[in-house]
Amino acid sequence: MAHYLVFLEPRNGLVAGVSADVWHRVQEQLSSGDRITGFVAGAISPGALDVLQGSGTVYHALSGSPAVSPGTVLCRMLSEFVRKEGCTAVVMAATTAGKMLAPALAAALPASLLAGCTSGSLPEKVCRRYIHSGSVLAAYRPEAAIRIFLQGREHRSSPFRSMERPRYVVFQESLGPLQDAEPLIRTISASGSPEDISEAGIIVAGGRGMGDASRFSMLEELANLLGACVGASRSAVDEGWRPHSEQIGQTGKSVAPELYIACGISGAVQHLAGLASARTIVAINSDPYAPVFDVADYGIVGDVREVLPRLTDAIRDVLRKK
Amino acid sequence: MNIAVCICQVPDSASAVAVIDGALDMTRVTWVMNPYDEFALEEALLLRKQFPGSTVSALAASPESGKDLLQKALAMGADRAFEVRSSPLQDPFQTAWVLAEAVRNLYGKALPDLVLCGRESLDYQNASVPAMLAVMLDLAFIGPVSALGADGERLELERETEGGTELLVARPPLVISAEKGLNTPRKTGIRQVMEARKKPLEILQASEPPPPLVCLEGVEPVSKKRRCRYAATPEELAAMLDSDGHIRQISGEG
Repeated sequence: MAHYLVFLEPRNGLVAGVSADVWHRVQEQLSSGDRITGFVAGAISPGALDVLQGSGTVYHALSGSPAVSPGTVLCRMLSEFVRKEGCTAVVMAATTAGKMLAPALAAALPASLLAGCTSGSLPEKVCRRYIHSGSVLAAYRPEAAIRIFLQGREHRSSPFRSMERPRYVVFQESLGPLQDAEPLIRTISASGSPEDISEAGIIVAGGRGMGDASRFSMLEELANLLGACVGASRSAVDEGWRPHSEQIGQTGKSVAPELYIACGISGAVQHLAGLASARTIVAINSDPYAPVFDVADYGIVGDVREVLPRLTDAIRDVLRKK
Repeated sequence: MNIAVCICQVPDSASAVAVIDGALDMTRVTWVMNPYDEFALEEALLLRKQFPGSTVSALAASPESGKDLLQKALAMGADRAFEVRSSPLQDPFQTAWVLAEAVRNLYGKALPDLVLCGRESLDYQNASVPAMLAVMLDLAFIGPVSALGADGERLELERETEGGTELLVARPPLVISAEKGLNTPRKTGIRQVMEARKKPLEILQASEPPPPLVCLEGVEPVSKKRRCRYAATPEELAAMLDSDGHIRQISGEG
């Protein structure tokens, strides 16, 4: 029987949306006899845990602030917790913090880290994931008794609903004398975009074909209309048109939107590597032979600078009639 | 400041990687230094310039790593380059284990002030070795770092997170992983390459690592090709997207 520990990441005093998603996905997959436990460390607002539905217990470590380096205090706290509670799996969202914590925890326990599995179901024996820029699908077999799942954003058909609510318990363990050695987070400056691109449901991305930085305002307009995030190809970032935090592809972020609109992006293999999990791809490019059309579901051949304003108007019309 | 940099090799283009009879075929691959490791090594070299007397040692532990990778590190300016020789490494845990052993062996109890790694290797993209190495060396870990400043005692580091940019203050010893944008890695010219060839490549034989935590069971090639439906006009494209249910009011989205 499985005992899942879900690591819940605090963000702006709340439970991060991606963490709540992970919690509910695990709830959906519980078989009879399985257990689920949540763990949240750091300052959260009263009522922050109200978003969590379903069974189980959520432990809240008040002293472990999100500022601690995951390699040390948080990792130790969690690995002790996993051993003591006899957890068989740890599940967390593939955020910046999660991506650092998961391998540290895997080494500390030790446990098999399964990241980026294409199948969202947990009890499967094998994790299938893309390697070599998405050109190869590999099957990984966990060898350790404990597994750690690092989960990306997933397309949800319907939200999980339950009458049950998890029990809330304050985690009492002391942190020990490690804190002097801890790196401290001084400041956090808010990012420009309200949503992180790797978690976005819709992305409007621009490449070299945009021509210059100012034309990205056209992308922003379409993105605002659709509730989308703006992304960029490597060339657009290297030109200095967009920040690296918006870069999609091999040396940027992997994304998993339901809709991806590629504007003036030729579709180099390095860019497509970040798109392996995109559900629907729309390509706008002036070159009819651009490789992006090979991976697109919808395409239009034309200059983005002419196509985009008209497409935005047409979509605005569609939305107005709804 | 003693700095160890962990480097590895990756295919310069994934398109040369093939799957033959259910196994990876790398015979057509040209190998290059993992781009993120170039950022790590460049940062080490910049720190050495800032703090005279520092040493930079490059360590490579991957089955493919050979002369070329180590010579590239020397050509960029590393003081010493080590090939950590082991049986084939099957997962990041084993890789981190042999690297941790090599670092302990080279630096003894004192450990280096900094261990720099790339954010991830571009071939498997596990992004696990830096954090695992930190646990094994009992050091704190910060990554992926996009800016670094040092004043001799403390380091100021920046990383991009979902919430914005974090500024961290830490004291060595530390394991740091390098993100793109940390610096611009130097190019190596003929002269540096020729000089690097004269420097010795050192070999560290690793002990047998513990069993891997994950095993690669099989591979299959992926075809990403989709059938593209072309629209003649932007208006037609909007209509196609709408009739297939891709255009929704923002408020309707969860």
